[in-house]
Amino acid sequence: MVKRVSNQVMKQIICIAMVLIVLAPILLTLFASLKTKADMVLTSPLLLPPLKNITFDNFAKVLTDKYLLLGFKNTGIMLVVSLFFNVMFGTITAFIIERFDFRGKKIVVGLFFIGMLIPTFVTEISRFKVIQGLNLYNTLGAPIIIYIASDLMQLYIYRQFISTLPVSLDEAALIDGCSYFKLFRKIIFPLLAPATATVCIIKAINIINDMYIPYLYMPKNKLRTLTTFLMNYANAQQGSWQTLAAGIIIIMIPTIIIYVFFQRYILAGIAAGAVKE
Amino acid sequence: MSKLSRKRKQFIFISLVIPLLLLIAFVVFPAFDLFKMSFTNWDGYSPSSKFIGIDNYISMLKNSDLWLSLKNNAVYFVVHLLMIPVELGFAVLLISKLRAAKFYKTMVFMPYIINGVAIAYVFSYFFSPINGAFDSILQVLNLDSLSRNWLSDVKIVNYVLSFVSVWKYSGYHVILFMAALQSIPKDLEEAAKVDGATTVHIFKFIQVPAIMLMVDFVLFDNIRGALQVFDIPFVMTSGGPGYASSTFTLYTIKTAFTFSNFGLASTMAVAIMVLIIVIYIIQNKIIHGFVLKNRR
Repeated sequence: MVKRVSNQVMKQIICIAMVLIVLAPILLTLFASLKTKADMVLTSPLLLPPLKNITFDNFAKVLTDKYLLLGFKNTGIMLVVSLFFNVMFGTITAFIIERFDFRGKKIVVGLFFIGMLIPTFVTEISRFKVIQGLNLYNTLGAPIIIYIASDLMQLYIYRQFISTLPVSLDEAALIDGCSYFKLFRKIIFPLLAPATATVCIIKAINIINDMYIPYLYMPKNKLRTLTTFLMNYANAQQGSWQTLAAGIIIIMIPTIIIYVFFQRYILAGIAAGAVKE
Repeated sequence: MSKLSRKRKQFIFISLVIPLLLLIAFVVFPAFDLFKMSFTNWDGYSPSSKFIGIDNYISMLKNSDLWLSLKNNAVYFVVHLLMIPVELGFAVLLISKLRAAKFYKTMVFMPYIINGVAIAYVFSYFFSPINGAFDSILQVLNLDSLSRNWLSDVKIVNYVLSFVSVWKYSGYHVILFMAALQSIPKDLEEAAKVDGATTVHIFKFIQVPAIMLMVDFVLFDNIRGALQVFDIPFVMTSGGPGYASSTFTLYTIKTAFTFSNFGLASTMAVAIMVLIIVIYIIQNKIIHGFVLKNRR
């Protein structure tokens, strides 16, 4: 009994240490965001400022920046459009690959597999040419079409999910005179709702957090996303750490909220994707 | 019947044509184009470029900054490799009888979903030489003699950046290991117990093989991740001082978009792609086969 108690205490100590390591850098940033310029120098970075000195001016300054609003808008547009097409193409592609045999299927599956294996960052060197050729450079179309075309994790999740649906379902519907499109739209697609939730949540986080593609393809000020807004803000606020800290906290919030509310979907989806690979 | 099969073909064609065209235009074609560009001296804007044979490949192999960058990638790989036992330990801990386990699970994975650029700035401040939090922690612990320029000391900068990478990505691996451990059917263990298997047997013949597949995956993820480290050094040090904290991908991107040498950059991109595919095949054929054989 004593052994079991001390065991539990040991475990708790290890876990609390882990929580501290995770939270400390974020908490210290939060502390800084509540300080005045003077308190940044006068108080230890490990402590909150004296209570009467706590200020929300830094947050006010970031929140009234017109580019932050633009960032929210652009990120929102990117999210909605990419997710819509990702779900549409992802479900139907997975459905066909899982349920149909046709000539050239091996090639199709092979192409998607190659697509998943190709490293993302360096491919931009030649993708840049394609985007420029299509006149998409410096438009929201560039990141949107790249997210739709090249981020393929949804195929795993959908294929895995479809393979658990009974084939007799398709057969019965087809015998009843259902067309293939109707079978997909009316029967299969609604059944995929849980997988769609997982796909949307994970992709939303990836898109909100993505720095590289917006940075590369949309240097225009009007096309700031949340993440590139932060990068620009950091360059502009050099030396004024307290305002940048407020910016950092604001940019972190959307994905943390998504995580807190939809944690179960996220963890399930992450594990499923890996196991399949 | 033939009408049905025609409709079937129609359905397949109409459904796949757009996703496939997108895939070919934005993924498959660029990948092949990289290969083609790697034999040219294209600068990124000129309408024409010259075929220069394998010159890029030779200058890539001779480029000492690139080799230095690749060595830095190795630091990330080794640091993450050393973390695997720790991650496994946490996975075992979090699925054991533990109060507040759910909360700890939430915490362990949180860094993975937080905005990477924001994290990079957070740690720039954390390790800053002026008023930095880390130096203050050392001070509190009376260890100020250890304090140094964490992000500009050539000797340690890569380890500091690797630490940030570990902070961000380890939770992902913990979750994967937990999933692997939890996927073992409970009745399998019970049946084994009934048949007289000891705890050691269960660990050796049931738990270890189940985790091995995941270890295998995490290992590949580490290699792929380490070869492609980009955003943390890009935001925190932009590869500096000099090329001391540059990475292969960072150097490749700089070669293209800063130095406008798309030909040479394509060569590096081809190299990284070949590396990843070769490692994938080696791992799939050799290690994977070995693990599965052991299981039987």
